[in-house]
Amino acid sequence: MLLFRSGETVKAWCAARGLPVRPLISLDQLWILAETWYENRLTPDSRRPKPDEMVGIFASIGLTGPFWDPTSDQW
Amino acid sequence: MDFDTTVKTAIYETIAETGSVPDAGHVAATIQAPVQEVQAAFERLQQKRLLLLEPGDPSRIRMAPPFSGVPTSFLVHARGRGYYANCVWDAYGVAAALHCDAVIDASDGHTGEPMILEIRGGQPVPVPGVAHFAVPAAKWWDDLIFT
Repeated sequence: MLLFRSGETVKAWCAARGLPVRPLISLDQLWILAETWYENRLTPDSRRPKPDEMVGIFASIGLTGPFWDPTSDQW
Repeated sequence: MDFDTTVKTAIYETIAETGSVPDAGHVAATIQAPVQEVQAAFERLQQKRLLLLEPGDPSRIRMAPPFSGVPTSFLVHARGRGYYANCVWDAYGVAAALHCDAVIDASDGHTGEPMILEIRGGQPVPVPGVAHFAVPAAKWWDDLIFT
């Protein structure tokens, strides 16, 4: 996951690699993801979210659909 | 605490205290266990997607998310140390995991223009910028280094 100054540089990066432009995430959304994912990572009982938990985390910040579903084979 | 959890905890404690990601030998010395057993725990933690081992050298950790075992273009300054993160999500993740303010040296993924991100008081300081996920969630671990 890369950082870009704007959507324009995202488009240029994708075009240079022949890749489609995927969803853009605001830095506020990204911070919520980071806190949810990692705030307990240094504790002994930390674990990676399960697939259904991942879907819920993404949906909580408005990221829905097969692109954000770790069990999907269609995106 | 089971052995794999002991290993995982030792890894993250070392990273938090030093900014460096330890190898199997370092962890073995820290918890006073045979290095072969620690390396086997590394493999099991990778199977659980909690670590990514260095390709070709399973004694070394490439990623202990959100931390990187190698220098990257995301250097997080926090607690008076530098921590490399695997991506922009993980750069914020370092501040979240350490529960502290952080200043992040980053750059635009296309132009290379330097960018500074900051977490202050548990919130990101507003700056122009977006994150782009090029890979769908179902494919992240197919090539996590590219992801």
